Amino acid sequence: MTAGGSAKEPLVHIENFRMDFGDTTVIKDLSFDVYAGETFGFLGSNGSGKTTTLRALLGIYQPTAGTLHIAGKVFEPRDGARLGYLPEERGLYKKERVLDVMVYFGRLKGLSKAAARNWSLEYLERVQLADKAAVKIDKLSGGQQQKIQLGVTIMNNPELLILDEPTKGFDPVNRRLLMDIIEEHKRGGATVIMVTHQMEEVERLCDRVILLKDGTAKAYGTISAVQEQFGGTVYRVAYDGDLPPSTLYRATGVTSTSSGTADLVPLHGATEAAVVRELIQAGVEVKRFTTERVSMEEIFIRVYGDQNTLTEA
Amino acid sequence: MTPAPRLARARRTTKAHHNLGTVVGFEFTRTIKKRRFWIATLAIPVVMAVIFVLVFASNSSTRATTQAQKNAALSFMYTDASGIIPESLAGAMGGRKAQDPATALAAVKSGTSEAYFAYPANPAKDPVKVYGVDKGVFANNTYEAVAKQVLAIAAQEKIGSPTLTAATGGDVRVDTETFREGQPSGGLGAALPPLMFLLLFYVVIILLSNQMLNSTLEEKENRVTEMILTTLNPTTLIVGKIISLFLVGLVQVTVFLAPIVIGYLFFRDRLALPDVDLSALTFEPGPMIVGALLLISGFTLFTAVLVAIGAVMPTAKEAAVVFGPLMALIFVPFYAISLILSDPSAPIVRVFTFFPLSAPVTAMLRNGFGTLSTGEAIVVIAMLFLLGIVILRLAVHLFRYGSIQYGSKLSITKTLRRRPAELAGK
Repeated sequence: MTAGGSAKEPLVHIENFRMDFGDTTVIKDLSFDVYAGETFGFLGSNGSGKTTTLRALLGIYQPTAGTLHIAGKVFEPRDGARLGYLPEERGLYKKERVLDVMVYFGRLKGLSKAAARNWSLEYLERVQLADKAAVKIDKLSGGQQQKIQLGVTIMNNPELLILDEPTKGFDPVNRRLLMDIIEEHKRGGATVIMVTHQMEEVERLCDRVILLKDGTAKAYGTISAVQEQFGGTVYRVAYDGDLPPSTLYRATGVTSTSSGTADLVPLHGATEAAVVRELIQAGVEVKRFTTERVSMEEIFIRVYGDQNTLTEA
Repeated sequence: MTPAPRLARARRTTKAHHNLGTVVGFEFTRTIKKRRFWIATLAIPVVMAVIFVLVFASNSSTRATTQAQKNAALSFMYTDASGIIPESLAGAMGGRKAQDPATALAAVKSGTSEAYFAYPANPAKDPVKVYGVDKGVFANNTYEAVAKQVLAIAAQEKIGSPTLTAATGGDVRVDTETFREGQPSGGLGAALPPLMFLLLFYVVIILLSNQMLNSTLEEKENRVTEMILTTLNPTTLIVGKIISLFLVGLVQVTVFLAPIVIGYLFFRDRLALPDVDLSALTFEPGPMIVGALLLISGFTLFTAVLVAIGAVMPTAKEAAVVFGPLMALIFVPFYAISLILSDPSAPIVRVFTFFPLSAPVTAMLRNGFGTLSTGEAIVVIAMLFLLGIVILRLAVHLFRYGSIQYGSKLSITKTLRRRPAELAGK
């Protein structure tokens, strides 16, 4: 399964991966590749098997069947000096001081004590936690602890970043900081695998994505290819008046019920002209009408809309 | 096709050693930097120091009291139905013969006489009745001591021979020499050195077992496991933790022993510490080597068991439930110590010797007292080492593949059943 990838060998290669927990099959038969230098979105609703796949890839779970390789081989911790992994279940040694913990992980990633210490102090300065270096981690707020966790993840300039719901628990300011850091690493040539429910992040950062549902891939490829696969277009309209209910479209991203903007997802192959006509007949003043690609959020809703388990990260 | 990209990697052996040193350094440093560690560690020597001071003060007081009692002469009245006690002897020791027991007793009750001793016709059969003015629990013992001494000296005079007197009183010196397999055995002097390993084992288990139990629980409770497992081999982590715990234990033992050593070297007389004649100790190579190996193998087994329990249990609270019975099993041989020493071939002693959890203590006891044969020693040591290594590997496996079951107890069978298709072909 190449789905928009190149002919070169992938950095991450997963083939016919199956994962059972007792009688429950979490992943049925999953195959995909991630290439060096790309940012890869790993999408799916809660319980779809994303975290399980990452844990199996990193040797934390033993796969029931299949091949999961990083750089051509099964991952082992001794190969992890240039891997940055931000797990979904996060935590640090809460009773230890911030700098001690960061230096410890830096040492485990192969940095000298001095280098780990210098890097940590610079990072703390950048994320405005320089005054917390000697504070115990359990004295920090949740957001501050997330910053420390992120710092530990990106120490030693990792070549492969695996981020499992990286913005989970972040406020908007920290989320922006995180996105900036991911982009920096992306520009620096790092490969990023990102599990997220934030579709704007996917559209902003990812080169390719995979959508996982019920243990299998529902879509896989570049953003544009996936958008094309799911109907391709949406009508973006700026209007005055009340949008009427219709069998020709489904309104999403409505900014106001009486006027504003909305994305109209065409149903049953409804044309632009038919939709505009219906709006005008309903007394809506159409100020602007453009055809756009369907958003990843819309695709996500289409794929997982029938599941009540979908929750915001 | 271009070859697969590589993740930059440090040289394996160097990195493994580097990581082990890093884990040991981190675990050791963070433990001894904690205030509560020093509070717990210093509590025992402080208590010991307080006791030493109290003993020191008490001994000074006791010595003064004893001296005062020695200088004070006791005046007493007595009646002698046996006819053993010469009046001259009693007179020399402060005694005066009473004509009438009732009058003598009345004199004691009124306080005009300190004491009255009524010697029966047959002191071997009937008790000597002693009456005295109350001088307190301890000083009252003087009456009995003087009454006995008067009778003893009178009897010695009747016998008229110091040798017979010593023989009848059991006041003779005995030198015992015993042989085992044709060779002189060292007695208690030879038993004590190997038993020091038992003492060391006891101290190490008491001091470190709780920390061993919690060593892997911390990663689990703090949700650090996934971060750790992608940067560090779990074997390195666990071995590093065990080494650091051992170092922590050494620090604690040093702190505990310091006041004892200082007290023994500089204040032995004043603290009434026994004047141990170290030259009487015999260090026989065989029992010493067996003792050392039993200590190391026993430590290995218990460390492995405790780490495995920590890997299985979700929280320290739940792990503590298993901890109590485990400790009981380790030290249960002490309840049968008399049987272990007197009848090493008894079935229960044999069970204790070869049951892994009770084996170290039982075998070390028997080794000290010379009832553990070479064959038995080899079997026990080999069993403890092998079982320890197997359980340690199991503990690493449980930690590696089970410790991210953060909220629930790990199913060992399920964990073992999950055989990795890829790892098998690696």
